[in-house]
Amino acid sequence: SLRRCLISVDMRLIEKSFHEIKRALQNKDTFQNVTILSTLQSLKTIKPIDVCCVTKNLLTFYKDRVFKDHQELSPQILRNISNIANSFLYMQRALQQCQGQRWCQCSQEAINATRIVHDNYNQLEVRSAALKSLGELDIFLAWIDKNHQETSA
Amino acid sequence: PDGVVVLPAPQNLSIQSANMKHLLTWSPVIMPGETVFYSVEYQGEYESLYTSHIWIPSSWCSPTKGPECDVTDDITATVPYNLRVRATLGSQTSAWSTLEHPFNRNSTVLTPPRMEVTKDGLHLVIELEDLGPHFEFLVVYWREEPGAKEHVKVMTGGLPVHLETMEPGAMYCVKAEALVKAIGKHSAFNQAECVEVQGESLPL
Amino acid sequence: PAVPCVSDGLPKPTNITFLSINMKNVLQWNPPEDLHGAEVTYTVQYFIYGQKKWLSTSGCRNISRTYCDLSAETSDYEHQYYAKVKAIWETNCSKWAETGRFYPFSETQIGPPQVALTTGENSISIVLTAPEKWKRHPKDNPVSMQQIYSNLKYNVSVYNNKSKKMWSQCVTNNTVVLTWLEPNTLYCVHVESFVPGHPRLALPSQKQCVSTWEDQTSALK
Repeated sequence: SLRRCLISVDMRLIEKSFHEIKRALQNKDTFQNVTILSTLQSLKTIKPIDVCCVTKNLLTFYKDRVFKDHQELSPQILRNISNIANSFLYMQRALQQCQGQRWCQCSQEAINATRIVHDNYNQLEVRSAALKSLGELDIFLAWIDKNHQETSA
Repeated sequence: PDGVVVLPAPQNLSIQSANMKHLLTWSPVIMPGETVFYSVEYQGEYESLYTSHIWIPSSWCSPTKGPECDVTDDITATVPYNLRVRATLGSQTSAWSTLEHPFNRNSTVLTPPRMEVTKDGLHLVIELEDLGPHFEFLVVYWREEPGAKEHVKVMTGGLPVHLETMEPGAMYCVKAEALVKAIGKHSAFNQAECVEVQGESLPL
Repeated sequence: PAVPCVSDGLPKPTNITFLSINMKNVLQWNPPEDLHGAEVTYTVQYFIYGQKKWLSTSGCRNISRTYCDLSAETSDYEHQYYAKVKAIWETNCSKWAETGRFYPFSETQIGPPQVALTTGENSISIVLTAPEKWKRHPKDNPVSMQQIYSNLKYNVSVYNNKSKKMWSQCVTNNTVVLTWLEPNTLYCVHVESFVPGHPRLALPSQKQCVSTWEDQTSALK
């Protein structure tokens, strides 16, 4: 299963990092009626074949947009976000090396799922969108945990 | 400017890492009669690639007095990290000194784990040292007899753990190595320890 | 319809949090300060993150207790929720006091399994029944927490009352047989469920102590 690809990724410590800043991030997000990763909640039926592609795309989303767009003054929050960002960088490489040439084929459904996330992001002002996406990391981490156990390669 | 002493930057930065504990050291800046403080900052590969202007103050050493800093809580992903230090004396601050080569925690040295093998009646029990959240231990144990079959268990440290129910009159041996999945490395095995169980062995 | 009250006439309730065990999600709070003796009542609302409006819950309108079971309202554990409560006393009411975002899937505490011990001459067999998810109706089919968390494990701790030694075993299956124990010896067992990953509070089972039988050979003498 894809779990073997991420075997060297210590999800517990990434979750611990998020757990330490969850309240601070989520309390600053005042748009309770909007979500970015709603697609993960509604698309609970992402097929195993699409898990790799959605994982790769969402890691890229966080790497290329969210962590860049967020500006943080608190050193403590900055440290925890840095840990998550660098762990995602490592995770993406681990996934890429593990998959080799078969690097995550993407079905139309997986592409659509990712586009919904980007569309949701674009609906908001960029700082608010980045803050909300950071506050929703628990959704993404839970989805990775759940989907990287049961999937088959 | 004339007469003003420019505070020199710390020199000889280096990092020692063992069992996922990482210590940054440097040569102290000597200003007779004065106490010099230091500030340590770091940048993971993500920051250096995507937000290179961002340097993050170390968890425990911004500022610090000693010419060393435990950066274990800062180096939290298996990617290269840049580290830098500067000196401060009153209102004066030195230039930054940056570690010559970025540090990746996968270069840490893993030592064979300390363990205590005991028995509770016929129960073989092992307790491995608690080396922190990154560590698991691969434990190999066998009954000392010709053609002995090795058994393997993976466990965490810090608590006595039941390994095996032994048979009277037999000797059982145990060895262990430390595993850190986050960097994909393991230590060497430690010295095997054996315990013997009194009483006659069981009728076949 | 509720009689309108003068808002901000009362201090807010405090320490409003979800206490969640096996997806039984109970909102609890402390009464507003400095209102000793006043007959304060409370009204609760909840919000599903990402949806449009706050929802009322019939069971928690003008209540005098300081908790409200929102398990039914928050039963889709993959969604996230907010809840809020306000205090009412005569024609005055407080502002709303609101929880942080509550995510049952990663925040619920996993209760201990049921533990059944049976002893033999020098053995104890431990049968574990996985904790059950909260049920809307007692007659509903039980859902084990293991079905929600496939990597649920148990940490079985055994204490030999004679040797004063303790050791533990991490197991995933539901039966553990401890053999070759010392006869006529009291052993105490407690078990914790845990899910590797999210930092959760552990809820150990009640400690149970049983004694292995007397050594049959010495019993015959």
